Amino acid sequence: MSLLEVKELTKSYNGILAVDHVSFTLEERTATALIGPNGSGKTTTISMIAGLLKESEGSIHREFNSGIGFLPQYPQFFPWLSALEFTEMAAQISGVDAKKVRQQSIRTLEFVGLGSAVNKKTGTFSGGMRQRLGLAQAIVHQPKLLLLDEPVSALDPTGRREIMDLLKSLQQDATILYSTHILNDAEEMTDQLLFLKEGKLVEQGSLSEVKSRYAEPLIRLRFDTEQAAALFESRKFWPMQRDRNVIALPISDEGPSMQQVMAVLAKEESGIAGIDKQSASLEEIFLKVAGKK
Amino acid sequence: MNQFGVLLKKEWRENLRNYKLFWIPAVFILLGIMEPVSNYFLPQILDSVGNLPEGTVLEFPEPEPEQVMAAIMGQYQLLGLLIFVLAYMGTIAGERKSGTATLLYARPLSFSAYFMSKWVMATIIALLSVWLGFLAGYYYTYLLFGSIDFMNLMRFGLTYSFWILLVISIILAASALMPNAGLAAAVSLGIIFISQLVDGLLGTYWPISPLKLPAYAASWFENGLDMSDFWWSVSLTFMLIVLLVVIGILISAKKAASTKV
Repeated sequence: MSLLEVKELTKSYNGILAVDHVSFTLEERTATALIGPNGSGKTTTISMIAGLLKESEGSIHREFNSGIGFLPQYPQFFPWLSALEFTEMAAQISGVDAKKVRQQSIRTLEFVGLGSAVNKKTGTFSGGMRQRLGLAQAIVHQPKLLLLDEPVSALDPTGRREIMDLLKSLQQDATILYSTHILNDAEEMTDQLLFLKEGKLVEQGSLSEVKSRYAEPLIRLRFDTEQAAALFESRKFWPMQRDRNVIALPISDEGPSMQQVMAVLAKEESGIAGIDKQSASLEEIFLKVAGKK
Repeated sequence: MNQFGVLLKKEWRENLRNYKLFWIPAVFILLGIMEPVSNYFLPQILDSVGNLPEGTVLEFPEPEPEQVMAAIMGQYQLLGLLIFVLAYMGTIAGERKSGTATLLYARPLSFSAYFMSKWVMATIIALLSVWLGFLAGYYYTYLLFGSIDFMNLMRFGLTYSFWILLVISIILAASALMPNAGLAAAVSLGIIFISQLVDGLLGTYWPISPLKLPAYAASWFENGLDMSDFWWSVSLTFMLIVLLVVIGILISAKKAASTKV
């Protein structure tokens, strides 16, 4: 069931389109990664869905009434408030029942790993702690939709791992839309990929769908010996690249098919030891889409 | 707790923890005390630091206690108002510019509650400062120059308080309107001081004006106050305050999109 439907969403600043007729839907309890180069309109899109920016054209249709949880890329807090005071204020403004505010705030802070810092002033927090608090204020009112703008980009690998694990556990109860340019994260937690470029949605689909569209499969032929590999290379059946006893052979519509390669290998006494199939990584797809005119 | 209560608590904590609740009244008390004390000891001060030729004889008429209170108000009209502008210029513009407002604006926030919580807190501190300053100033005026009719003193304080409410409303509306604290300060200072200057130069043509409230406040100590002009000025000030608050609320909501994300 779709939770949010975005239709022809557009934002222009003085005639310049920051987001250009973007449409997509978010299904319930799914994670959607919004990827794209810097300045492609990721933050503007998220800000419009969060209600911080008014769209110039298009519509955003929500199938729920409860609030949205929003985490900006660099969350700013009132430095003179403690983590608990800030989280409580966030919960109260979001309409959490007054009797549950304290308990829910403490539980959320413990969940994000700030249990020992509830009474510490936010002004003393490190970057990782700020990101955790940002996540806490976004989820304290148990929203159905979580909008996260680059939630882990400012963190070190350990902090990133911890926040990604937290986000994965949240996926059971909430729909998540997050922007990132850390493609490993997008590969790790995504049911849907949205690829923005210059404000336009240029790719959309599940990870496997997008990968299959951009797949330039490569097979790696592993030979018993370097000589066997060199011999196979010298026969020049197709363009190929050899690294010691391994030959990389691109498979495409123009080049050889898998069947043709297998037929040649079966005919020759090639000394083949193994075949690995490898498709394009998300990073390769990113570079390809980002560079595509 | 409703949103206004939650946000007022936040403002209270902010003003308490950044010490505005203490230093602003302290400055006003100091200004209030300095006026009667420096007036009283003026001959001795001049004698010790005046660098006057030997044999100079200066005679100072002793000011009436009412004149000393009016002079305290004169101090507040310059230094006091400047302090309010500097203390509250970033109330809204600063929160937007730094991005601290973003996490509030991304919630189902009532902008009336948001603006009013700031207005109420700034008003409480401003009035507390002015009244504590007047009372401290009056205490020394009473000790050094004599007493003032209590009712007139109250009327003087209340009339000036109305003017202070208008000043705070101008500062907060400017903070809602302007993109940063510096511009908010420039606009507030421009409106407050330039309009007073214009009123000072040409004000004889319009006796009904919010800008005349400080002068009317001092007039309680004299007998020449036209009650009709006074009440019309108070009513006009009240309407302006309401208008500025409504504008402040509407602009805060309209400009929410300019917060740093």
